Parts: sequence; C-alpha cells; structure tokens
Amino acid sequence: MVDTNKIPEPFATAYNEGRYFLLEHEALKVFESIGVIFPPNKLVKNVDEAVTFAKKIGYPVVIKAMSPKILHKSDYKAVIIGIDSDEALKNQFNDMESRLKKHDLVGILVEKQVKKGTEILIGMNIDPTFGPVVAFGIGGILVEAIGDVSFRVCPTTKERALRLIGEIKTQKLLNGFRGLPPVDRDALAEMIVQVSQLAIDLDKYIKEIDLNPVIANEDGVYGVDARIILKELK
Amino acid sequence: MTENPLHKFFQTKSMAIFGASASKDKPGFVIAENFINNFDGKTILVNHKGGEILGQPVYKTLEEVEGPVEAATIIIPAKYVPAAMEDCAKKGVKSVTIISGGFKEIGEEGIKLQQQIDTIAKEHDIRIIGPNCIGLFYPKRGLDMVFLPEEKLKRPTEGGISILSQSGAFGSAFLDIMGSLGKGNYLSKFVSFGNASDINEADILEYFGEDPETKIILIYLEGFKDGRRFIETARKVSLKKPIIAIKANRTEAGARAVASHTASLAANDDVTEALFKEAGIIRAYTWDNLFDCMKAFNSTLLPKGNQVLVITDGGGAGVMASDAIGLLGLELADLSPEIEKKMKEDLPPYFSVANPIDLTGSATAKEYLYALEQTINDPAVDSITFIIIPTPPAINVKELMEGLKPYAKSINKTVTFCAIGGEEALYIREELEQMNFPFYPTPARSVYGIGILTEYADYLRTHGQELPVIRETPK
Repeated sequence: MVDTNKIPEPFATAYNEGRYFLLEHEALKVFESIGVIFPPNKLVKNVDEAVTFAKKIGYPVVIKAMSPKILHKSDYKAVIIGIDSDEALKNQFNDMESRLKKHDLVGILVEKQVKKGTEILIGMNIDPTFGPVVAFGIGGILVEAIGDVSFRVCPTTKERALRLIGEIKTQKLLNGFRGLPPVDRDALAEMIVQVSQLAIDLDKYIKEIDLNPVIANEDGVYGVDARIILKELK
Repeated sequence: MTENPLHKFFQTKSMAIFGASASKDKPGFVIAENFINNFDGKTILVNHKGGEILGQPVYKTLEEVEGPVEAATIIIPAKYVPAAMEDCAKKGVKSVTIISGGFKEIGEEGIKLQQQIDTIAKEHDIRIIGPNCIGLFYPKRGLDMVFLPEEKLKRPTEGGISILSQSGAFGSAFLDIMGSLGKGNYLSKFVSFGNASDINEADILEYFGEDPETKIILIYLEGFKDGRRFIETARKVSLKKPIIAIKANRTEAGARAVASHTASLAANDDVTEALFKEAGIIRAYTWDNLFDCMKAFNSTLLPKGNQVLVITDGGGAGVMASDAIGLLGLELADLSPEIEKKMKEDLPPYFSVANPIDLTGSATAKEYLYALEQTINDPAVDSITFIIIPTPPAINVKELMEGLKPYAKSINKTVTFCAIGGEEALYIREELEQMNFPFYPTPARSVYGIGILTEYADYLRTHGQELPVIRETPK
C-alpha cells in the first residue's frame, strides 16, 4: 500500500477513498490554486446554507451534486441550471437531495451561473507517443460533433498557446458569433499555460484534465465544469 | 555539449564491411564495391570465408587487421550478428550500422537477437544504426551502404538535402527519383534507420540540425521512438532550416499494416498534426507533396509575404492557379500602379494586364520575358508563378528558356514554374532544372510550392528569425 501521507490534498482523500477522480469541488480548489477563475461557488450541506450563499452571490445559480459514485453527472441529472429564486432553489435542492442521497452525496455545490458565452474546451491527456499534451478547442455539447481541437506539448508558453488558439478551424466561433463578444484570447492562453503546467507539476497524480466548458463571455473567461482523472498509484 | 553520435558515422576514417561478398548479385558485393570504388577512407572487407574481392584482401576477423578500425557495416544473417558485434568490440569499433534484417520485426526470436546486440553495444560504448535498414549514404565522401547497384538506383548528385527514413524501400525510391532529376544540388546525407534499436529519429534530426552541409531536411516516419525529443529538437532546428516530413501510418488501416513492418506503434494522428505545426515541421501527406516541397525549398527563395502574381498564356491555367491561391490562404497581388500602367502601354490591348497576367494564345517568348522583367522587382509582388502552355504557334520555347537563363543567376524573388503539355513541356522542365528553378507539372502544384514556402517564411518571421537563402546559383 502506498503511503498517502506524503500525497497532497485533495489527491490523498481521493486515493484513500479508492477514487481515481476528484470530485468537482475538489478539482475547483486545485484549479483555483493555479489561478483558473471559476464563478463564485460553495459546497453546502443543507438547503438553508444554499439559500444564504445564493442570496450573497445573486441569482441565477446552478446546483451540482457531489458524490464519489457519480463521475458523469448528466447520467444522474446531477446538475440543475437556471435557478432564479429562493423558492426554486429550495425545490430543486430538496429534489436533488432526495433523488441522489443514496449515492453517498457529500454535498451540493452552489455556483453562480455565468452569462451566455462561447463554450470552449481546455484539457490535458497523456499521449502514448508525445507524453502530456494540452488540448484546446470548441467545447460544450458540440465537442464530439465538431471535433475541432488542437494540441501543444506540456508545459507550454503563452506565445504557443496563442498560436494554438489561432489554429483551430472554427475561428468564427471565437471571433464573436451571433451576437456573442469575441473571446478573450489572452485570458484563454493564460489558462492553457496554467493547465499545461499543472499537468507537469502534479504528473505523479494527474492522468487527464477536462475543463469543459470554459465559458468566454462579456465578463471574462470562466471554468464552468472541471474534471481531473487520477493515475493509479504505483 | 556531447557530440552527436552520427558525427562519427559520417566522418569515420575507416569502414569494415562484414559480409563483403564476391557474388555479384549479393548486397554484400554491392556495398563492398561501392566502398572500394568511392570511399575516401580505408575500406576493410570481412568475411569468414576469406579470399579476395575486386583485388582487395578479405579478412576473416577484425583481429587480423592492422591499425585501428572506427566503423563497421554489417550485412550477414541475423544469427551471426552478435559474433560480429563481439569482433567489433574487441577491435574498438564504435559506430556500427546493421543492415541485416531478422530482428525485432520478425517476432520473439528476433527480439532476443536484438537484445543481445544491444547488450554488447552498451557494454562497449558502441552506437548502432539499424538493424533492418539500408544504412548511410554520403556522396561527398563516397560512403555508400545502399546495397542497390548503381544501374538500378542512380545516385543523386551532391547538394544540401539530407534525408532520414525509417523505411529503406521508401528511402531508396526517393534517392532513385532524386538521382533521375539530373544535374543539380541534391543530396548531402541519407540515413535509413530501420528498427532504431539505438540511434533514433531524434538523434538524426539533431545531427542534421547541427550539420553545416545540410540545408533542407526530409523525413519519412511511420512511428516514433522518442516523439517528445523529436518535437523538442524539431522546434529548434526548424528555426534554422526547413524540415519536411511524411508521417505515414495515419489511419487505423495504416496502423495494422505497420505491425508487421518496422514494428512500431501508431500515435494519434491529430496530436501528431498539431505538434508538427507547433514545432514548425512542414508536413507532407503524399509522395508528390514531399517532392513538391523539396523542389520549392531547394530551387527558389523564401517569399517576404503572401502576395502572388500569376503570369501565363492560358486563361484556364490562370483561373486554376488563382483558385489554388485562394485555397491556400495566399492572395493575388495587385501590381504597383506605375508598373501596370507601363505594361498596358507596352503590350497589345488584347492582353490582360491584371493578375493573372494573361498573354493569351498569341504570346511570344519576348512578351513572356517582358512580363517577368517588369514584375520581378515590383515590391507589391512577393512571389510569381510562371505558367507556360507551350502549344500556341508564336511561342519559341527555346528562345524563352535562353531568356530565362540570366534570371537563374540574378533572381531575388520567389518564382515557381509550370509547363503543361507534352514534349515541349518536358524540354522546358529539363532546361529549368539546369537553371535550378522549381518545375511543376500543374498550376495547382506550382502554387502549392509557393504556399508552403510562404507558410514557412511566416513561421520564421513570427518567431523572430531571418529568412535563410537555400537556393544555390547554378554554375
């Protein structure tokens, strides 16, 4: 058995629980520690805490169920978006809790819902030939349909990241499509560099990273959904 | 900095040939003959049978040889290779090329043999190229391990192009075509590295990057031994000289075919594509692409921008060239107003002085040359593609070629040439190759040549590099 005392949090907790992925609220902490910006968010244990936090950050909000049993949240209806009042939040919170508590729910993440924007993917995986590579492309539900993604070797630099952004085919979507503002390429490039560096700094633990979507809107660039898959410990 | 191991392979003063043969149809004979006739160093023939080949003594082992031996070429059955390696180790040979097949690529038995030779090499600091390859070719020194006889494979003339090829057959076919291009500046060095049990693609790329004689690097790969180092090396080398690469084995069907070939694993091609771009590698997808790129880099200059001028006598050819210009992200140049005005005054009114410049079916050699003379120094034009349809009655192609000759010495702009047609087009091709101008058989490929140069020039500029002059002025 590997000595998990020497492993930093939140990885140690995951390994101790026999998990090979981080819960989203854990992943958020990792990303926030390297400077990736997420909308205001908090892991809450009950509905009162949820309402208090939502009032503080303002509606609309999103709630997400955090459970070690749930990797793909959409399979469990574990994300509810567009919640715009105390009442709606109470209803949705209670409903989610009763539906999913059997899956070892550790809490529910309340997050400010960001304004509409361009959905981007930033990710990392370990290529069998080239080692860790950072990916950038069009994100959201279109990822697989469009398949417009390109790569750089990790770690990368800002210049290379800017080139990477300029390399994907659907530049139109980045330049402000259908009333959306053009994406902030500079901020995206910084996020790409941060993710590529994270993959190197924590290469003992991290196998894959998914920031999908990252939303680029009039206010800036935000990670919205985050996933970190872990390596098996040797 | 440690010296790249390829240096010793190419600069060796002596070469032992294990498996030198007296039978003329054996590869061991061809290699022995190549070295005896051409190598500027000392050639040592080795065969357990002893005897004599082409008047040269054949040693049974290296022990019998007086003086040091630095390098060896091994072309004997795989099962005897470990013994030859031991012989090399005893004599202090440090650079060994193993041509023989029958190793990793044939499965378990071969894997064991390959491990055996690797162990001997490690113990004695011997570096290996191969096994299962066609080795090295360096015409400048007559270092020629290509076991295909001269009458079957015409050796290319010396120049600044260096080739690294995982596949021996592909590499030799490429050499053969290069050899058939006639006089011109072509080959500096060739390495086929086969199974790459020791020296791999990244080592060779690094060497070509450092080698002052190499101006252009051509690569054929099916898989990587050290993909990460290859990309990191390419990133540095591509700032100094163009790297043009075919990475075959792109699809799953291709991946199955390779399992029984040079036994390598396929990488995800999307990643390869992106990382090649990142590293400034120019990716060729087909045989034609590779040749078209080679000609462009070898025979013309890098353009300062993306403004292209088309000069032709065929309206259709001009349209096709314009289409290719658009597709490749290039732009049709607008001639400088004073130049356009002068040309309109000088040329018959039924010629179209725009872009394309269409000299029509009544064009003469003089008018073709006039169009080039007027536009070659136009700062609004970054490159010119010169498309000749030689069939109209008034064009004297001989006169046209004579008129182009002075440009071969003085050219200061990117120019590609295309001639469409039969015998006269072939004549034009030969003449242009003598002038070291890039010739293409279609307008699209002629524009593709410009496209690839423009892209590389742009890569260099955006990375803060000067544009190197690779083209050599013909004598």
